[in-house]
Amino acid sequence: MEDNANRYILTLYITGETQTSRKTITLLEEILDSELHGMYELKIIDVLKHPQLAEDDKILATPTLIKILPPPVRKIIGELTDKKKILLGLDFTTK
Amino acid sequence: MEEIRKGISKLNTGIKGLDEMLMGGLPKGRAALITGPTGTGKTVFLNSFIYLGITRYDENGVYVTFEETPQDIILNVQGFGWDYKSLVENKRLAFVDVSPNDVIMEIGTNYDFTPLFKRIEHAIEKVSAKRVVLDCIDAFFARFLNKDAVRSSLNQIAVHLKSLGVTTLISGERTSDGSGHTRYGIEEFVSDAVLELDLVGGQQQFLRTICVRKIRGTNYRSGLMEFDITSEGIEVFPKIPYKKIEMNTDYSIRRKFGIRQLDRMLYGGIPQGHMVLLSGNTGTGKTTFGMQFLVNGIKEGENVVFVALEEPIEQLKKTAKNHGWDFERFQKEGRLDFVSTDLIDIRNDRLLYSIVNAVNCIGASRVVIDSVSSLMSASMNEEQVRQFLIQLSGFFKEKGVTCIMNYLTGSSFGAVKGQLMSNIMTNDMRLSSITDGIILLLYVERGQSVKKMLNILKLRGSKHSKEVYRYEIEKGRISIIEKYEE
Repeated sequence: MEDNANRYILTLYITGETQTSRKTITLLEEILDSELHGMYELKIIDVLKHPQLAEDDKILATPTLIKILPPPVRKIIGELTDKKKILLGLDFTTK
Repeated sequence: MEEIRKGISKLNTGIKGLDEMLMGGLPKGRAALITGPTGTGKTVFLNSFIYLGITRYDENGVYVTFEETPQDIILNVQGFGWDYKSLVENKRLAFVDVSPNDVIMEIGTNYDFTPLFKRIEHAIEKVSAKRVVLDCIDAFFARFLNKDAVRSSLNQIAVHLKSLGVTTLISGERTSDGSGHTRYGIEEFVSDAVLELDLVGGQQQFLRTICVRKIRGTNYRSGLMEFDITSEGIEVFPKIPYKKIEMNTDYSIRRKFGIRQLDRMLYGGIPQGHMVLLSGNTGTGKTTFGMQFLVNGIKEGENVVFVALEEPIEQLKKTAKNHGWDFERFQKEGRLDFVSTDLIDIRNDRLLYSIVNAVNCIGASRVVIDSVSSLMSASMNEEQVRQFLIQLSGFFKEKGVTCIMNYLTGSSFGAVKGQLMSNIMTNDMRLSSITDGIILLLYVERGQSVKKMLNILKLRGSKHSKEVYRYEIEKGRISIIEKYEE
């Protein structure tokens, strides 16, 4: 069993189930799969359906990706296409 | 035409004086922008708009904050005695917290602000809001690299808020380059109304000013107006629009002093709506004449206002008491009201507004200003005094108020024989175009004594005595003794 401390908990906020949203999700999952080898949980929230969650998390823009665990919490916005930038933004330390 | 007029109705903000200035309020269901450099009171305006909306008009509010946290705002407004916490708990007020409480890293510039948009919409639904404020959007711009995305999202928000029928007030910093524009050009999408705030240097303190740069499709009073931030929030002191004055005076209605001889000299008293200059050197009894005029008004069942610019009200009351007039009681009974001001930095609009308020409040028909000279020796220059009096005169004529303005002249003393009238100061004459009458009080040195003389120099639209009379003041009682003949 893997150590729970190494587990990543992430939330992705998107706007509507659009083509762009689907593309973003697919791309992100590919990157996470290759980097974290399944050691992550990704929750996807549509702000159109859950504005109160967006309020609680103080989301301003989409797409926003939040790394909740492990600390520190990181929020990144902008197109999630560049693997290097995503890893840097989320403070990942690749082993 | 009627259709167009119906197109934009107005929403009372509830802010003292602002609705008068805006001739009804802000354009309802539209977005207005309030701009100004730091510290000019933008946020207080927004808070007043929200708070008064909820508490006075039952119009709930949404506060979108880009700068301070809701917790800080809640604390800040406690100073005004406003309990935001319970308003939030009772679903009268909702915050959309966009304060920079965490770091957002931009890994690309391709993002949109739909969540913000949805959050505002959600908050409006949550409390059924009718009013929304965005404070202050520069902080929003400052946080993101993609200014175009910010701009287009604000545009989208403004359009959407209009479609929801809420009235929005947005604050933005104004650059100090004098162009009158906001840093990020917000006017482009919030152009239904633009209000500008400023701080201008007075002699001892800063004066706060507000002006309307534009309001689409409706009227407003133009020009700079003063405002103040008090313990109760904002108070704007709108100027009185002079053009709209309707004369409401009847010269056959006379207001007596209650001094038989003097009233006879005035052919029955001072006509309704007249502004009479009571000019004299120090000690000639101007204040006593003024008090006498007011007391006689009260005796005749009228209400009166004393504008005390020379001495403290308590001191005036004491003097009146010595004369046998119970000003304290008159005031308690609502027959007499006082207006006073800080003489170091007299603020025209504010003083004007207080006088108008006092007159309206008790329905006064007599006003004494003691004295006009104080205005000049304070921070107003001659032209400002003239403008002030023109506005006041317009208001008094509309209301049919008769006013006595005391005026201190220095050189009405020591006229030589045969030249009793030689020394009327030119200043008197400059004011004379505004005044409907002039009563002169003079000292004359004759033999071994100094005598007090009175003459009615002018009384518009009425006959009056041209003679010089001697008068005396004993224990505060004025008595006209006799025609003075040399």
